[in-house]
Amino acid sequence: MKPGFKIVHWIIFLWLLILILRFDVLIDYLFLFFSYINLLFTDTGSALVFLDFHFIDASLSTMLFLLIIPLILIFNKRLGFVKAGLNFSFAFLIMLGFIFLFAPIISNENPEFSKNLSVTKLLPPLSSVKQLELISVETQKLSDAENFSLKSEQVIKPAFNDNIIFADSIVVAQTVIYYQKNEAYEIDSKKLIDKKGQITIEEKFFLLGTDEFGRDLFTRLINGTRISLTVGMCAVILSFIIGIILGFIAGYRGGLPDIILNRFTEIFLAFPIIYLIVLILALFGSSIFSVIVVLGISGWMSLFKIVKSEVLSIKQKNFFSTAELVGLGKVQLLLKEILPVILAPVFVNILFLFSNVVLAEAALSYLGLGTGSEYPSWGSMISSGQEYITKAWWLIAFPGLGLILTLFAINSSGRIFGKLINPRLKE
Amino acid sequence: MIKVFKSQMTRTLVIRFFSSLLTLFFLVSFLFFLIRLSPGDPTDKYISAKLGSELSEKIAEKFSLNQPVSNQYFSFVANVLRGDLGVSYSYRLPVIEVIREYITFTFLFSLISFILQISLSIWLALWVIKKRNKWLDNFVTNSSLFVYSIPAFVLGVVLIYVFSVKLNLFPISGLKSLDYDYLPFLAQILDRIHHLVLPLITLTAAGVAMFYKYIKESMDDVLQQAFIVNLRATGVSEKTILKGHVIPNAIRPLISVAGVELGILLGGTLITEVIFGLPGMGRLTVDSILSRDYPLVLGCVFAAGAVMIAANFLADIIKLKLDKRLVKGILN
Repeated sequence: MKPGFKIVHWIIFLWLLILILRFDVLIDYLFLFFSYINLLFTDTGSALVFLDFHFIDASLSTMLFLLIIPLILIFNKRLGFVKAGLNFSFAFLIMLGFIFLFAPIISNENPEFSKNLSVTKLLPPLSSVKQLELISVETQKLSDAENFSLKSEQVIKPAFNDNIIFADSIVVAQTVIYYQKNEAYEIDSKKLIDKKGQITIEEKFFLLGTDEFGRDLFTRLINGTRISLTVGMCAVILSFIIGIILGFIAGYRGGLPDIILNRFTEIFLAFPIIYLIVLILALFGSSIFSVIVVLGISGWMSLFKIVKSEVLSIKQKNFFSTAELVGLGKVQLLLKEILPVILAPVFVNILFLFSNVVLAEAALSYLGLGTGSEYPSWGSMISSGQEYITKAWWLIAFPGLGLILTLFAINSSGRIFGKLINPRLKE
Repeated sequence: MIKVFKSQMTRTLVIRFFSSLLTLFFLVSFLFFLIRLSPGDPTDKYISAKLGSELSEKIAEKFSLNQPVSNQYFSFVANVLRGDLGVSYSYRLPVIEVIREYITFTFLFSLISFILQISLSIWLALWVIKKRNKWLDNFVTNSSLFVYSIPAFVLGVVLIYVFSVKLNLFPISGLKSLDYDYLPFLAQILDRIHHLVLPLITLTAAGVAMFYKYIKESMDDVLQQAFIVNLRATGVSEKTILKGHVIPNAIRPLISVAGVELGILLGGTLITEVIFGLPGMGRLTVDSILSRDYPLVLGCVFAAGAVMIAANFLADIIKLKLDKRLVKGILN
């Protein structure tokens, strides 16, 4: 075993980084989770109402985050890949995986949150503004459920919050005066005083700046990564299922189904695929679901060819005829005999397919036909940033860089795996 | 199957031609299928209020919109194969005329880019091989992978930012200057080139990177074969070996890649034309989608598919001419 920086070290490094930087958020999530369990026993009806996507997401992320290091240490033996040497593309892919799994921990802001446009619009990276938070005047005794919802809104931040005010500068006197673009506003300091009797003035820090609606680019990028990767993965899985089933039918049955499927594949291959995608999205409307389906059904052709030729060669092997004679059904043959054998050669193809799909999704979002404006995705961020290119380079630079590096990492690790599987390519 | 043709070559070509026609027919059927399957009233995909009642009735009759689905299908196929794709809502012209106006640009644009891609990548591969520097080889290979990973729209936007906004060297969009019509002929050409530099870089970069990978690999393959060693041993100059033996042998596998590459190229022109506002098929498609001009969308997709099928047919003919051993393999 060579000494050096291994994948497992990188995973632990990222884990520690998140743990140190986002310790308070983690504690908040844990607290929220336990108070939810408490609520579940006291007031089950309203507890079920609070069970929304963001809460489940945050809880699962937290649990996984706490479990991931023990899991890796326990299954050390089986997860052989964590001991492999680290290179740039693996490191970047693992970082993407972390962003994908732990997005709620890395940033608990809402990607759509925008407030006080005059102050927060188009801020460059590493800038910060002052933030005032009004105290909601509810002194009466709250029920458990209301308490939970209040707490939950503090931790998992909603898209709208009237109690937060961003300002350029703040002067505290008898009354609090805050400035937004040279306009002064006055506010009663009582509204700002919390239980400890202090006025809370915080610095709101924007790591990657803000976009034209004053939304935090970092949060949007994190969430956009998630959307892009989710679309990519779902589409690839769909392609994989279609390709493997059709390939199995064509290779196993031969004859007429084979001829028909070959024709069919040729039609799909003899087509500028982006035109097909664009047409289907135009006719059927574009939503995140239709994008996944369209990308899925437009990428299975190469998988079909590989699976077909692999099935043809497996069909001759002894273990396969034995399995047939024992009386396994077609589904079992596919799942137990063929799938394990073809997984290795198909894997490289899946990686390249994944990079194609991520690229296509970004291109569609760029054209305004993708996942739409409801979700931030890399393509739509670049497309909306294009209008502000003279004023705000960061709107394009960060999503663009994310996209390029992701595609590069996938392609180059695809090449590395290809060399491992097919040693003939090794010169 | 067809015994009339004496040579196997001709027979293969004829069968290949009919299989292309069959694919084209399937394509048309597929489009019809999509129209019927899509949500909303299918007749909306042919006629709209924008056309006026007289024209609408004409189209409805031509596409048998008031008759059963099977009749609609037959008249759709017949019309499309005849070249009649309906009338565009926004241009109020037959779709085929609108497309004819735009397709020339896309054709020339992608042709220039294609030639640039092939020649630049061959030149780059030769240069790297001549240098015989392991470090340089690795560097070029890795950076070609990086360039290949840059999406066209990111590259285009960055080029606009650097060269048009910051340095003010090239125009941001369009195909000609405002005073184009008053320029002398030579200046007109220069003006066109001036406008096309950035779009061509955007469209060509990824293709060069892709072709470089294939050409480099097959050149390395050829260079290791025995006959090259033999040539070297007999004292043939390195230049002759590269020009006369390595390039012709290495370029052969490229032709089958070229057919696939054309699809990528058409997709690339779509994005590039949108970024730089060029009057081509890609922008026409996107514009017609955004304005819900369904006949035009269908027409564009059909045209793109037909071009693709024709190009694949052409690539197969060239392949056959270069290598007669492929006669049997090509029909699979």
